[in-house]
Amino acid sequence: MEHGNKVRVSVRNVTKVFKDKNRERPVLDNISFDIYDNEFLVLLGPGRCGKSVLLNIISGLMPATSGSITFDGKDVEAPDPEFGMVFQRTGLLPWLTVMDNVRFGPSMRNVDKSEQYSKAQYYIDMVGLTGFEKHYPYQLSGGMKQRVGIARAYANSPKVLIMDEPFGALDAQTRYNMENEVLSFAEKEKRSILFVTNNIEEALLLGDRIILLTACPASIKAIYDIPFKKPRDTMDQDFLELRKVISENTDLAL
Amino acid sequence: MASRKQHRYALLTSATFIIFLIVWQIAGSLGLLGNYTPTPYEVLQAFFFKLDNIGPDGSLLITNILSSLYTSFVGFVIAVVVGIPLGLLMGWYKLFSRFINPIFEIIRPIPAVAWIPLMIVWVGVGITAKALIIFFAAFVSCVINAYTGIRQTNPALINVAKTYGASNFYTFIHVGIPSAVPMIFAGLKIALSTSWGTLVAAEMLAASSGLGYMISMARQFGRADIVVLGMVVIGLLGFLFNFIFNIIEAFVNKGGSV
Amino acid sequence: MSRVENHVESGKDPASKNSSIYAFVFRIAPFVSLFLLVFIWFAAAGDNNRIFPNPLIVLRKMIDMLFNPVAKATLLQHAGMSMLRVICGLGFAILIGIPLGVMIGWNGSVRATIGALFECIRPIPVLAWIPLIIMWFGIGEKAKVIMIFIGALTPIVVNSYTGIKFVPALYLDVGKMFNASTEKQLLMKIVLPAALPSIFAGIRNATSVAWMVVLASEMLAAKSGLGFLVYRGMEVFDISLVMAGMVSIGLAGAFLSFLTSFIERKVCPWNTGIKSE
Repeated sequence: MEHGNKVRVSVRNVTKVFKDKNRERPVLDNISFDIYDNEFLVLLGPGRCGKSVLLNIISGLMPATSGSITFDGKDVEAPDPEFGMVFQRTGLLPWLTVMDNVRFGPSMRNVDKSEQYSKAQYYIDMVGLTGFEKHYPYQLSGGMKQRVGIARAYANSPKVLIMDEPFGALDAQTRYNMENEVLSFAEKEKRSILFVTNNIEEALLLGDRIILLTACPASIKAIYDIPFKKPRDTMDQDFLELRKVISENTDLAL
Repeated sequence: MASRKQHRYALLTSATFIIFLIVWQIAGSLGLLGNYTPTPYEVLQAFFFKLDNIGPDGSLLITNILSSLYTSFVGFVIAVVVGIPLGLLMGWYKLFSRFINPIFEIIRPIPAVAWIPLMIVWVGVGITAKALIIFFAAFVSCVINAYTGIRQTNPALINVAKTYGASNFYTFIHVGIPSAVPMIFAGLKIALSTSWGTLVAAEMLAASSGLGYMISMARQFGRADIVVLGMVVIGLLGFLFNFIFNIIEAFVNKGGSV
Repeated sequence: MSRVENHVESGKDPASKNSSIYAFVFRIAPFVSLFLLVFIWFAAAGDNNRIFPNPLIVLRKMIDMLFNPVAKATLLQHAGMSMLRVICGLGFAILIGIPLGVMIGWNGSVRATIGALFECIRPIPVLAWIPLIIMWFGIGEKAKVIMIFIGALTPIVVNSYTGIKFVPALYLDVGKMFNASTEKQLLMKIVLPAALPSIFAGIRNATSVAWMVVLASEMLAAKSGLGFLVYRGMEVFDISLVMAGMVSIGLAGAFLSFLTSFIERKVCPWNTGIKSE
């Protein structure tokens, strides 16, 4: 597939080694790729092989052992608000209502109050939580919580949206609905999205490109361009065939 | 990197203690702290004095320590023997809980020190009164923690036991109680520190020996050095109990939680 | 299949009969136990009401004290004095203890210095401070408030400190990702709210310690308060006064802990772990 768009984020030769007391544990091995403008890029990898670590490095939460991340040509060294993160375990702040969670990012930047609220309301409406603004996270279901997480990420007006296995904890039906909704959000709000999953079908349903990672330590095994038009049909012959190809190329998770 | 930071903190802590003691000593020597604040050196002297002098409270330091230990031990053991089974039964048998709970809730908000006058009137100022006061101090947390501990038993484990045909009582003994052990230990630690703290009050109001009596008498005779010595000894012993309990707790909980 | 159904059928009838009796006993159990308590109290008291007054005498004494002052104050005024002392000592402990605990938890150097000193003094029970406090500050109101302050300070500092230390790393990541860039923003917007339930648990503990300390200090040296009443009862050998005082202490203590839970629910409505006791 053609990527006439410009490169937003480039990840170059990123390696990460954790040091236990006297043992070195490599989790990322020389990973390089680009995230283009407005593309939906999926990182697909088995089990627990450092995908979250890679995201934390890209977003600036964690330093790499070696390698570099650049965003629009600048080095990323500290958490950068150009990235919006949807966390795996939602990470909603339990002491804030849905509204306050969603406007948290803008409020930390001292954006004008009325703009905070109107923006937050827009994204709360987008994710379908109108009427739940005053609820606390503990009053919401798992799927609703992750909707708040997505609204919160959008409300911070990031250039790149990072989603770290956002639907891993949801039941199958909710997960399927959420996948379709994420597609419609992506359609409405043009942005680069980096989406991490260990589910091949999810990857194929959402991604413009899929980067397949190996098991630990993670390195890039293959990159697939997904030519199918969205929304995609999981029963389509080509879809199933590509699914088989990727599946056979995937390392077994231990 | 991290270890260098740890190093720096350890150094900082040692420096803090040394400076604290030196400043205290110098300020005291210069008479800046008034008549009723002994210097660390005077407290040390008081320690050696109390080793072989019975004044002003009439007993050697070691006699007072043993007397306090004995009293709190008796009260604490009674509280454990009564409180823990009570809490366990209340946690497991709902009917029993319905029956006992109202009485327990009436007694609970009355702090142990409030029992002191009544105990003095009823049983005098001997060991019985003090042991009963300690009992009231330790009893509540024994019951509450045994109760919550057994209530938190994983229902899946109970179902497994019942599926295999275990009777309710057998499940109580072999599943419920073991899973309550960590909470019980946490309760024992709280009980120990409450009873040790209450003992001091009991001995100040109703005793003729013990560490609480010692500091109370020392105050009446204006011996601040012995008051502070008593506080230090009480603190050290409390710290020691907690330390020993932590070791026992780590040993008992080795089986891990489910 | 049908055999199983039969088994269930035959087992059902007696069980349901049993369970309805059980349900009845279950419902009345608390009343039975309260009735028994009162009955046993009456029986134990017998005719010996000078040493062991029965519930009726104690109740009458309480009602009497509501209107006729003992030592220049009615029962409510005595209770009010005790509460006032608790609120003063507790208030200072909250004002000083929370910032202290937060700093110990947040800053390594503060922990290594002030925190270490605090840990060193902590094992000394509050009540053991009483003689020294009396030597330093006499037996007035100031001394009592200081005693309560010392007692309440420990649980507040310890809980603030542990609350801060155990803030989940995830919340800090969320803060950093969403523009909380300065230490101050992280502390005020992430760490403190996350530690609030733990801090409140400390205040709850502090309240019950403060209640105990005020009673002890009033017994040792006071002219008013519920602790004084009970002790006075002992001195003049009026056991009904002792018991009426104890009952009032229980009621006032329960009221205090209800009050703290109430405030806690208002301040942290998201904290579902709040106990109602």
